[in-house]
Amino acid sequence: MNSRKIAICGLLTALAILMGYVEMLIPLPVALPGVKLGLANVVVLIALYHLGAKTAFFLSLVRVVLSGLLFAGFAGLLYSLAGAMLSFIAMTALKKTGKMSITGVSVAGGVFHNVGQIIVAALVVENVKMAYYLPFLLVSGVVTGIFIGLVAKVCLPHLPKA
Amino acid sequence: MKRWDIILIAITLLAAAGIYFFYMGNAKEGGTAVITVDGDVFDTLPLDEHTKLRVETPWGYNVVTVTDGSVSVTDADCRDSICVNHKKITKTGETIVCLPHKMVVEIEGGDESETDLVVG
Repeated sequence: MNSRKIAICGLLTALAILMGYVEMLIPLPVALPGVKLGLANVVVLIALYHLGAKTAFFLSLVRVVLSGLLFAGFAGLLYSLAGAMLSFIAMTALKKTGKMSITGVSVAGGVFHNVGQIIVAALVVENVKMAYYLPFLLVSGVVTGIFIGLVAKVCLPHLPKA
Repeated sequence: MKRWDIILIAITLLAAAGIYFFYMGNAKEGGTAVITVDGDVFDTLPLDEHTKLRVETPWGYNVVTVTDGSVSVTDADCRDSICVNHKKITKTGETIVCLPHKMVVEIEGGDESETDLVVG
């Protein structure tokens, strides 16, 4: 890893943390737990396509741990971590198949992020009835995933080669 | 967008619709609100009475209010207030969850849960 790549990684991680913060300032017209834009995933997606899976994985991990400790506290960290890791696995796997565009990969990321959070929530309250929220979170994952994928798609061609 | 993008989106939306209708198909006007804290039943409130219950959890309190057959959380000292902003629930299977307090309010059917006496 050369110093140029290290600098890019640091920049992207900072950007991802900032995106997570900006997101908290944007009120969404949905009073449902777990529904959010997932702006940070724009950065993770860009890293995945621009720098490769391994780099994107560590970027995502560092982002979640840092913003968890900064803004959410330990309990919040647990949800974000489950969401982010499941989402990352889904995105990398689908990207590897080569059958999907960045939009599809992003949708998978959004959907599996929500699925991961629901699983942790169900474990925390020890109530499988949390699945009641699943349909709403699946739909919101699709909608935000399409939006996030679009943003990443527009950004990618403007980046210089890594 | 490629063909597989559309297929993925379609499958997800179908799954969402499937789960939604599975819940809604079984839903009817509820009989009781069951409040659990950390997996244990805290209290059960009949929906045909007007009640206000302060649920004390090890992490904070939630005020559960029953009016006209609907249940809502009207006050809480949790950090995100998602439970307070949650819409009123009336049908069986619907839940209000307060994750910071590990508190779940769930509506159950009236008839099958009204077991007053078990003999034998």
